[in-house]
Amino acid sequence: MARDGESRSFRRKFCKLCFDKVERIDYKDDRRLSRFITDRGKIVPRRISGTCARHQSQITEAVKRARILALLPFTSDQYR
Amino acid sequence: MKLYETTIIYDPGLEETRINDEVERVTQPIAQAGGEVIEVQRWGKRKLAYNIRKRRDGTYIHVKHKSPATLIAEMDRRFRLNEGVLRHLTVLAVKESPRAAEDAAKADGVAAPAGEAPRAAE
Repeated sequence: MARDGESRSFRRKFCKLCFDKVERIDYKDDRRLSRFITDRGKIVPRRISGTCARHQSQITEAVKRARILALLPFTSDQYR
Repeated sequence: MKLYETTIIYDPGLEETRINDEVERVTQPIAQAGGEVIEVQRWGKRKLAYNIRKRRDGTYIHVKHKSPATLIAEMDRRFRLNEGVLRHLTVLAVKESPRAAEDAAKADGVAAPAGEAPRAAE
């Protein structure tokens, strides 16, 4: 199949956390969490990242906790 | 008593001995109140994602403990009064589910493939 060439047009999104079989995403795991925030520090919505509902809500909670501990930024001031 | 995780960010200017004292001041009351300190992790000096009180770094201490709920409130009050504490957070720790434990074992390269374990038990 000539799948690779047309990957931009129709490519089913999948939950990367389900794929990795992550049971529970941890707020201390800032490296993993940083994949789910934009370069401005916003949480990437489900429609973009393709994350499933269960993992998205875990991400949301974890990112918010990580922000309190200054592991992740609330916002990136590089753009200001 | 519930299982908690407390992370404390201390001023990076504090010396090692002072940090040790501070850790003592956290763990001692837990033991006194009939709780149990399960683990103390020292993450050391880390860069903060944003400045807190004009500091760019912080010394991170992470404590896993079992404590009575009343102590959590008291701990929170003490952290707030402590000038050396830049930030603190206490959350309920998630009990490790069987699958998570299995994943950890797999990561170590010890456990057998998941599908085979139940059959072997029969």
